[in-house]
Amino acid sequence: MIANLRVVRTTFELDVKQQAVGLFMIFGVLIQPLLIAIMAIYMLVARDPSRGIYIVVGSGMTGLWTSLLFRGTFNINAERFMGTLEGIVASPSSLAAVVIGKTLASVTLSLLSMIFSYGLASLIFRFPLNVAQPVPFLLSLLVMVFAFISFELLISPLMAVNLSRSGWANALEYPMYILGGFLFPILLLPGWSNPLSYLLAPYWAARVLHATSSGVATPGDILLSWGDDAHPGRRVHCGILQTFRDRATPRPCARYSELDVGRVLR
Amino acid sequence: MNAIEVRDLHRVFRATIGTIRRRTKEVTAVDGISFDVREGELFGLLGPNGAGKTTTVKMLTTLLIPTGGSATIMGYDVVRDADSIRPRIGFIFGGERGLYWRLSAKDNLRYFADLYHVDPDMAKRRLPRLLELVGLNGREDEKVEGYSRGTRQRLHVSRCLLHDPQMLFLDEPTMGLDPVGARELRQVIRNLVAEEKTVFLTTHYMFEADALCERVAVINHGQIVALDTPEGLKRHVEDLSVIEVEVFGIAQQMVDSLRQIPEVDTVSVENRDQKQAVRVHSKLGSAIVPEIMHRLDGNGVRLGRVTVREPTLEDAYVRLVGGEA
Repeated sequence: MIANLRVVRTTFELDVKQQAVGLFMIFGVLIQPLLIAIMAIYMLVARDPSRGIYIVVGSGMTGLWTSLLFRGTFNINAERFMGTLEGIVASPSSLAAVVIGKTLASVTLSLLSMIFSYGLASLIFRFPLNVAQPVPFLLSLLVMVFAFISFELLISPLMAVNLSRSGWANALEYPMYILGGFLFPILLLPGWSNPLSYLLAPYWAARVLHATSSGVATPGDILLSWGDDAHPGRRVHCGILQTFRDRATPRPCARYSELDVGRVLR
Repeated sequence: MNAIEVRDLHRVFRATIGTIRRRTKEVTAVDGISFDVREGELFGLLGPNGAGKTTTVKMLTTLLIPTGGSATIMGYDVVRDADSIRPRIGFIFGGERGLYWRLSAKDNLRYFADLYHVDPDMAKRRLPRLLELVGLNGREDEKVEGYSRGTRQRLHVSRCLLHDPQMLFLDEPTMGLDPVGARELRQVIRNLVAEEKTVFLTTHYMFEADALCERVAVINHGQIVALDTPEGLKRHVEDLSVIEVEVFGIAQQMVDSLRQIPEVDTVSVENRDQKQAVRVHSKLGSAIVPEIMHRLDGNGVRLGRVTVREPTLEDAYVRLVGGEA
């Protein structure tokens, strides 16, 4: 147990060192959310400066989602390309400990998106950026981080067993910005798409963060969103992804895989 | 007890071909091999590309599940007892991959020490000793991307020794190294055997197997075609002479024409920059040279030096794999 915790810590440190100088980090976590924030500021905030905090939270979430989605998809495959996966899999450590360490690193770095968006809006555009309910906001942020970590822990093994599935990451990026209500409320979308949003943990995370930052959240709303964010939404993810993983894993394990990743992950 | 016991080991890969009409193709990488490796032995596995060497090593290092047969490492089954085997073995796969290039050598080693559950204090003491063993002391803070291929390979060796394994699997460790780097690495391997570690080595280089290995198994098309000491393998060709002819631009049909000479045992061609060396094995010795020259000269090939010599381990290997080397 202690040895595996040490692996989580060392993997976290190593991954932060590696990611911090990577091009993905610079574009996915910094430049892309900043571009989205600038566009949203010109589109939405110019008419109503009080919506600045909404944009900051939303564009930060886009960076967080992009980072988690792509890192979750590629963090095991990157090890495969570097030839280090064999060394990790054949070590006595749990692969889950390595993936947790990597996920924590991704989350930590991707939270920078939110900080940069905040800095951009407050220092350059000089919008009033007050978080109306700071304590619920920070707690909601924590719940969201755990929900996202659980999501990444599920997609990493799924993507690792079959490289062709990694293309899904591209298809999942922008729809989540829209269905998750990151930059505008889902009420602006057609009614038939709303149930899809309710199934997604990031929607509940975005909803509670927006509500607490703008001060319209009631305790009931917050608790409902936390529960939905961390529980049913996640459970739906878990159910779908677990099914895929269980189906996907034995086949590559028995038939295709050079590395017996499947057995290690199960 | 043997360190490694392999019995009738098989591995079949299945691949799907085609987009609309999908068909399944089976490739047998390892086809029923059996052998034992004694404790403290340096055992070599030789074979041409695609013979099944790396697949064998991957099965023995618990990275790949066999589709048939069994293998034990220090008495532990590679499928059932993988968790017991992993802390006891170390491995290196040839090439430069397998390290984090953006990190320093020290960061790489610390990370793998944690992965292998080496006590942090122990790792701190062991690290300088390992860096010294592979000649990397003083360069441990440099990023791996700045290292030469040979230096990276030596770092691989120190990585796989971090947890002090009893057994090492080295898959073509000197591949791509310059002669000096390869010689240094061979010395490191000798030192490991002197420390009573069991070493399982795969290589393309005959002189390396000849110089290092106590016993050598030759694998071809997934099957072991010979298993003996290097001296024993050389006896496979002691009745033959080797005629080596340097040529410039030989065509495949000329090689086939040489193979049709009844007294010729095997023919192989080795590329050497602009020229090729055609190697003919025959019991007739120098008496067959005129016939060879006649067949080559008659086709307008430019000829270079011709030598007749005694066979080496490489010639034994070429004969065993049927001229595919």
